[in-house]
Amino acid sequence: MSANKALSRFHQPIAVPGRRLMHHLPLKFVQKKVIGGGGRAVNQEIPLIPFIDFLLCIVLFLLASFSASGELPIDKNVKLPTAENVLDMTDAPMVAITGTQILVDGMPAGTTRDIEESNRMQRIEGLFNILKNKRELWKQINPGKENPGVVVLQVDHRVQALVVKSVFQTAAFAGYPNVSFMVKRLGKAE
Amino acid sequence: MAGIDVGGGHGGKRSLNQEIPLIPFIDFLLCLVSFLLITAVWSQMARINADARVPGPPKDEPQENVVKEKQLNVEMRGERYFKLIWKEGSTVVNTVDVERKPVMAGESVVRYPDLAKKIQEEWTANGSHRAASDKKLDQAVLHTDNTTMFQDIIAVIDAIYTPQREFDFGGGNVKQVPAFNVTFAVN
Repeated sequence: MSANKALSRFHQPIAVPGRRLMHHLPLKFVQKKVIGGGGRAVNQEIPLIPFIDFLLCIVLFLLASFSASGELPIDKNVKLPTAENVLDMTDAPMVAITGTQILVDGMPAGTTRDIEESNRMQRIEGLFNILKNKRELWKQINPGKENPGVVVLQVDHRVQALVVKSVFQTAAFAGYPNVSFMVKRLGKAE
Repeated sequence: MAGIDVGGGHGGKRSLNQEIPLIPFIDFLLCLVSFLLITAVWSQMARINADARVPGPPKDEPQENVVKEKQLNVEMRGERYFKLIWKEGSTVVNTVDVERKPVMAGESVVRYPDLAKKIQEEWTANGSHRAASDKKLDQAVLHTDNTTMFQDIIAVIDAIYTPQREFDFGGGNVKQVPAFNVTFAVN
């Protein structure tokens, strides 16, 4: 008998469970949450902070590489030739040879007329003096260092070799034997 | 949206929470990015190297101490041919003629693919400095007449720089560099 009594708690009728938990609460939204009737929230948070970080990085990069005056001071009258096997530009005095004028960093340093009229190679005194002064100034600014002796020539594609040779020779005599010719980069042919 | 929540706002007091207006800020940043991208100057400028060989007073170094290395002389004096001359000092080792066939690709783009190909072959056959550990480069000297146009000079220098070899910059940093060092003869 006592054994039957002990087991009687297992013999309960089966019934469909109803809403019982917190059913007495008068708040509707709490009831909804409790019985699971709220559904998944449709609202989404867009992660704006990483997006702003990304934009700030782009702005900083573009500002750092921004140049208000253009990348390199190229004379408007100079049309450069194009080459494929090239090096990146370097910081060096810039000698431009336009139709008849020779400019060093934008300053007039002589003309090509004398060379063309005499039809022989010669030293250009104005150019020589300016380059020599630049070399002296570089030595004063960088004491104990050896000048790399690099000068960049910006030469129009139609200028004759005689003029180029004269400028080349003048630069070499002024202490700039390593000449780089400025060119437009051409894509590598595969 | 982003905001500053400092609590409070209960008991009838004015709430201290603030919303930061991020949308106008993002609009401003996008405008700034667009402006900077539009005004950016993407440089296509580069340089091509050449040393100067200038006539001058003789050097102090005695001539017998100078090691005579083979060097390639490229002569562009004629209208029809380039001459490739291998010299050891003043001794001519080998001479090759290459037909002068310019390939024009626009007003200022001149190229000599035949010359570049021949120089590549010549370096493969006669080049002295090939190993990546070799710090010296083979020497090429360009001779032109006085009437040659600058764009042709650049095209020939470009052709001379076509053969490439490995060069060890130290620390396992091996890169491809032009096999020749070009000297522009001013005389």
